[in-house]
Amino acid sequence: MEVNVLFLLFSLLITIFSLISSTKSSSISILGVTPQDENYYQTETIKCRNGSKKFNRAQLNDDFCDCPDGTDEPGTSACPHGKFYCVNVGHLPVSLHSSKVNDGICDCCDGSDEYDGEVKCPNACWEAGKVTRHKLKKKIDIYKEGVTIRKREVERAKQAIAKDKEELLKLKNNEKSLKGLVKKLKAHKEQIEKVEEKERLVKEKEEMMKMAVDGKSDDEQKESSSSTTLDSESNGPSDEPSVDQKDEYENTEGMPTDGSESTEGLLREELGRHVASRWTGEKTEHQVEEVSPNKYNHGDNNEIPESTGDKDHENSDDANHVRKDYEDSTTRLSDIQERIASLTEKLKQDFGMEKEFYFFYDQCFETKQDKYVYKVCPYKDASQEEGYRKTRLGQWEKFENSYGSMLFSNGDGCWNGPGRSLKVKLRCGLKTELTDVNEPSRCEYVALMSTPIHCLEGKLEELERKLESMRSEQLQGGHDEL
Amino acid sequence: MSSATATKLPSANEPEPAPAPLADQIRPLILSLSVYHDGILRLKIDEDYDHSDPPCPKTRFQVPDVITPEFDSNKLWLQRLSTETLNDESSPSTVVYLSDGYDAVLRHDPFEIYVRDKQSGNQKLISLNSHQLFDFEQLRVKKEGEEDGENWEERFRGHTDTRPYGPQSISFDVSFYSAEFVSGIPERAMSLALKPTRGPGVEKDVEPYRLFNLDVFEYLSESPFGLYGSLPLMISHGKEGRSAGFLWLNAAEMQIDVLGDGWDAESGIDWVKQKRIDTFWMSEAGIVDAFFFVGPGPKEVVRQYTSVTGRPAMPQLFSIAYHQCRWNYRDEEDVENVDAKFDEHDIPYDVLWLDIDHTDGRRYFTWDSALFPQPEEMQKKLAEKGRHVVTIVDPHIKRDDSFRLHKEAAEKGYYVKDAGGKDFDGWCWPGSSSYLDMVNPEIRSWWGDKFSYENYVGSTPSLYIWNDMNEPSVFNGPEVSMPRDALHLGGIEHRELHNSYGYYFHMATSNGLLKRGGGNDRPFVLSRAFFPGSQRYGPVWTGDNTADWDHLRVSVPMILTLGLTGIPFSGADVGGYFGNPGPELLVRWYQLGAFYPFFRGHAHQDTKRREPWLFGEKNTRLIREAIRVRYMLLPYFYTLFREANTTGLPVMRPLWMEFPSDEATFSNDEAFMIGSSLLVQGIYTEGKKYASVYLPGKELWYDIRIGDAYKGGKTHKMDAAESVPALQRAGTIIPRKDRLRRSSTQMVKDPYTLVIAVNSSQAAEGELYMDDAPFSSSKSQFSSKSIIERIILLGYAPGPKNALIEPANQKVEVELGPLMLGGSRGSSVVTIRKPAVKVSDDWTIKIL
Repeated sequence: MEVNVLFLLFSLLITIFSLISSTKSSSISILGVTPQDENYYQTETIKCRNGSKKFNRAQLNDDFCDCPDGTDEPGTSACPHGKFYCVNVGHLPVSLHSSKVNDGICDCCDGSDEYDGEVKCPNACWEAGKVTRHKLKKKIDIYKEGVTIRKREVERAKQAIAKDKEELLKLKNNEKSLKGLVKKLKAHKEQIEKVEEKERLVKEKEEMMKMAVDGKSDDEQKESSSSTTLDSESNGPSDEPSVDQKDEYENTEGMPTDGSESTEGLLREELGRHVASRWTGEKTEHQVEEVSPNKYNHGDNNEIPESTGDKDHENSDDANHVRKDYEDSTTRLSDIQERIASLTEKLKQDFGMEKEFYFFYDQCFETKQDKYVYKVCPYKDASQEEGYRKTRLGQWEKFENSYGSMLFSNGDGCWNGPGRSLKVKLRCGLKTELTDVNEPSRCEYVALMSTPIHCLEGKLEELERKLESMRSEQLQGGHDEL
Repeated sequence: MSSATATKLPSANEPEPAPAPLADQIRPLILSLSVYHDGILRLKIDEDYDHSDPPCPKTRFQVPDVITPEFDSNKLWLQRLSTETLNDESSPSTVVYLSDGYDAVLRHDPFEIYVRDKQSGNQKLISLNSHQLFDFEQLRVKKEGEEDGENWEERFRGHTDTRPYGPQSISFDVSFYSAEFVSGIPERAMSLALKPTRGPGVEKDVEPYRLFNLDVFEYLSESPFGLYGSLPLMISHGKEGRSAGFLWLNAAEMQIDVLGDGWDAESGIDWVKQKRIDTFWMSEAGIVDAFFFVGPGPKEVVRQYTSVTGRPAMPQLFSIAYHQCRWNYRDEEDVENVDAKFDEHDIPYDVLWLDIDHTDGRRYFTWDSALFPQPEEMQKKLAEKGRHVVTIVDPHIKRDDSFRLHKEAAEKGYYVKDAGGKDFDGWCWPGSSSYLDMVNPEIRSWWGDKFSYENYVGSTPSLYIWNDMNEPSVFNGPEVSMPRDALHLGGIEHRELHNSYGYYFHMATSNGLLKRGGGNDRPFVLSRAFFPGSQRYGPVWTGDNTADWDHLRVSVPMILTLGLTGIPFSGADVGGYFGNPGPELLVRWYQLGAFYPFFRGHAHQDTKRREPWLFGEKNTRLIREAIRVRYMLLPYFYTLFREANTTGLPVMRPLWMEFPSDEATFSNDEAFMIGSSLLVQGIYTEGKKYASVYLPGKELWYDIRIGDAYKGGKTHKMDAAESVPALQRAGTIIPRKDRLRRSSTQMVKDPYTLVIAVNSSQAAEGELYMDDAPFSSSKSQFSSKSIIERIILLGYAPGPKNALIEPANQKVEVELGPLMLGGSRGSSVVTIRKPAVKVSDDWTIKIL
């Protein structure tokens, strides 16, 4: 019983609809033509838009293509590359490719693209329109809030930049005066050292005399220094590439591939992986191991010089005091210079038309997807991490698409291709967060980031206009907003 | 026993006695000659298993399930047999009737078999063992105390091949007479005409052509090296338009030499001076099972060959439209986006392909549940637009006890065994894998059942299959394949059947789909490996090519060779699989690929995305136009596939197949015919705006886009800036469907356009085939409501205003219209506007 009632209601609705649309359209509208274009078709003889030909009214929508550009068949599929306009009362109007007219598939929500009786397309514009409007309204709400946040951020950025600039100015002044001080101290220090040097030479002469008497050699010292050289060398050769494997890639192109040339030492399973890697470009375990070690060697070398100061000679308190002052000032100067450099570097960046991206500078954003953690640091770099394994997806390059996306390029190299790259597309959202990361082409990554910074006022106005126009269509269609 | 004659031969034709250890093992061989309908001679030579002493240790492998059952019923039982002593020879010959105009002759001593052509004064057409290079190594068992050596074991790059029966190869020479060139024996990336491999002027290091199915990584664009498939059929062609063919049905590794003029001192002093090409054939194992095809033309040779190995399957319409593939469309969202973009850009396509990474860990018949959580829903959405999905199913099965397919196969003992009798374990995409023993019909049938909707969870009726890696590819095997001493059903060594492995796998899959559809749904299964008979089970493609101009160029002779050897449904990956094509190369590839019988864009996972809309507006338009031309011509292509299905004739043909005595066409690998009506010239170099096109024959040719006429028998310079030259031959009618749709499915009810190009006697003819597939049921008669919306007349002077349709007695307008809608040229060709006659009715239209 219930089913029957429902069915009746439904068919009633359709009847109303078709009544409305037929009374509305029968007088003037031509199937598939936009309201703006209707005047073009009012004459008895009509020109093809590209001027190639003329046709008469009887040839309009007669399901035979007379104009190669499709002017005469806006409502049929007869001409390739034509456009069919569906009114979609209650929703947004759409221009379809004429290839979709009477093809048995409902494309317009009002069903007007399928009229040859082969398929019945119910009018779904009202429902679909409601959903769309609802979504649109939600989007507008987010935009409204986002625009406010954005304004605040722009204001904060302005202040922060002003503060940075102020600091920079102050630092530069400090630098100037410190430089003077350092110069003075240096002169003083050199003076003292000259005196000391003299004293030292005298002392040395005395000692030489003494040594000549003792006849002692300095063999021991030599020995110990040569052993340190050996040590440091043993750190070196770890980054030697595995020649075998590289050679193979070059040699086997187009040859009868067998996979076992110079790989006889491999186990059968390793051989399988190795040959598979030609197609996939994935590194076999051998290769992975080569990559890592040489990156972490730096630290050891830096420590060496510090331990090699000799504190043999005596110093007067005064000399020590000057020396300490000098060292302190130099350190302070270099700290200030470092800070100046980093501030200058920061202020050089492109923070957007209103400096709205200022606070992106010192931030990183992360998202976890499957086994990978993606990390994006604007103005710096982006990476993909899996446990301790880090792949650089790119270094900061620039904004693209009028600040609609961020581009990172020149990341770690790809087998058979260029370096990795990442494009971060920005969306309007209330929080700044990295959402989706994809790899649509091998080693070309695309990520989505939502942020209030991308909630643009112009876009908000556009959305509001769209909603407005949908509402007015709705009113024309005779439905109340539910 | 044969119908015509049988004789016993000494096993080897060596002039000197064989070395002692072999001599005591010589056993007699059985030779049989049979004659079949349509001029086909069959020669078989095998061991005499009944009367051998010492006994033969095992039966040599004869390839089963290739020759069609119908062929066997075509055997002639005529006893027209005579013994003559020919010319001034000392020994007699037995002469057998072959067909009208042809005899088969068996000369007794020295043994020689040939076909002679009565019309040309009994000249030889094709012969075997004219140079006495016949050799047959008989199976042996290693004796105690006999030394190891190459005869019993071979080591190759860390692999060891054991040979329990010793060497077992067979060789002989075959000569083709009145031949300018020979072609065939795919698959290799090189010219259609086979260059000599031995003889004066040939470099020393040139190797014989090899037939051994292999997964070759980044194959070169100009190399005689054997690739994924093997088809031991050779076709000769000569000046008078004369063709003959020779097939050796044998699935072991084969090597074939084409011997250049003067390769042998004797070859110059034949008493009849006849242009001749000698060839030398050698196989590692098996038997002699050879077929001679008399022609007389190339079309007849292909017809004769496909009467032995089967006519090509009739494909479904969707499968001859455009296919979109990539390793890999990552997930359901990716699929949805790509699909939507085609619609957005108004570019039609019919099939979306999913490569290995759609599966759960490369276990075929499964789905990665994170990437493809709702495969049925995804297929349904595409099917609503008339589109299909193809998933990959390869022959290597992941050795994983939690994988049901593996567990079942292992329990039933369905895997190929290694030389030690254990399940062979090789490395492929899923890692450690085993391979089903597809030569066994029971296993094929079991495999076929895996394609039922019930077994293949997540499959729907719009899903079809792709068989890759079926050479078989084994990453850690010798030459990236299976060891030759691996064991199949009943102790068959892998070396004996290697080249047919992929064929049986293809067969099993195709039969599985047939069963799935209750016999009413034509299967679609793409295979990479092939063998004689593959044409019955679906298309093949030329494997992992590369995105460069030379690979574009070589695709044409490769596809032409496949067509000549009975596989009409083939293509090369559009764009090139490895590497990134520049926009110009990609556009040229689409323009040429739109005429490949199998038309699919595909790309390796390391390449950049290259869907048709990613290269700017102009290139998108050019690619859309290229694909649109294919869709317009679908009725013509479908008709040609039907012709292939009934006669074996290729869809894409070398020019000399249509113009057999035009010598200017013999070495033309750049242009080809689609059917007998359409000539296409590819563009194979960068920056070309014009092409020079040789047009054979005496009739005019019409540019299919703008209708310009060109004289035959000449080379013309043609505009090729925005398309590749394509011309319709005068005297033909090409059926088209001009309405653009999103897939071929929506075109079924669309009206036709006929393009009639009249010849010098104002006549033209053509064919149109249509059917009710895939919904064919034999109960009701098929009828079509389709009408003809437009008839275009090329070579007909403008003037008439009306035409009269009879018997309806209805007048319709005649006017000037465009040859191709949306084209650059305006209205210039005579067009009958809206005749609206039904294609299924009889009617006449008179121009008034």
